[in-house]
Amino acid sequence: MKILVVDDSKAMRMIVVRTIAKTDQGSGAEVLEAANGAEALELVRDQQPDLVLSDWNMPEMTGIELLEALNREGLRPAFGFVTSESTPEMYERAMASGARFLVTKPFTPESLGKALAGG
Amino acid sequence: MRGPRVIFDEDDLRTITDEVFGVMLGLDCAPVDRAPEPLRGTVVASCVQVTGAWSGAVTLDVSADLARSAAAAMFQADPGDLSVEEIHDAVGELANMTGGNVKNLVTGTAQLSLPAVAQGIDFHMRIPGAVVRNQLDFVCAGEPLRVTVLERREERSA
Repeated sequence: MKILVVDDSKAMRMIVVRTIAKTDQGSGAEVLEAANGAEALELVRDQQPDLVLSDWNMPEMTGIELLEALNREGLRPAFGFVTSESTPEMYERAMASGARFLVTKPFTPESLGKALAGG
Repeated sequence: MRGPRVIFDEDDLRTITDEVFGVMLGLDCAPVDRAPEPLRGTVVASCVQVTGAWSGAVTLDVSADLARSAAAAMFQADPGDLSVEEIHDAVGELANMTGGNVKNLVTGTAQLSLPAVAQGIDFHMRIPGAVVRNQLDFVCAGEPLRVTVLERREERSA
């Protein structure tokens, strides 16, 4: 399994990567990193990850803009948001664009694992 | 007359702070009535702004030692090995998480800014047009932390 972690904070990317490794679904996965949506879009094109875990609020290209860009290009990796914001409006927009889940920061290995498992 | 746009209180703010610093970073963090030792010396301050149905800002002020400890917890690195950029990245993300969770308690649509971080001695971060709504002090890992929520009041016509 190949997972792309997208967050403009290097510290948060490291936390997400460590937490992924503690989950049943992410243990042993190959993990790629990007610092914004634009970098992530390039990596999805080149590396074709199975799953994208993305922050929402980032410079250059936000997480939802990334998801919408992937949709326009017909690229359909599984997509989940890991973000400090989780209003109903954001959740609805994310789901309407094809996201599978939205995990709120701060998160625990249990909450991220549950989301990865589709729970 | 418009209804309330912000429905959080100081208990919510304590819970958010505990989840960010305690649960996520594993730092022992407790609220105090007043910081036992005011933030003196080098302070790292971070801020995110909220704009929309409710407008304001959330700022974190931490001692340089707490900033380094928090960054070490986030990077799982030796505190002495961290660069200034990494420390600022970590403290900015702490403001992002705290501010994002405050924004989640706001009714109506609002936008969260990217975090800004400043470091210095004896300085005051000012958000023009905003007044302090809540200000809570904590001791985290033995070091002071101040969480402030500022609120932008209705704009007056010129």
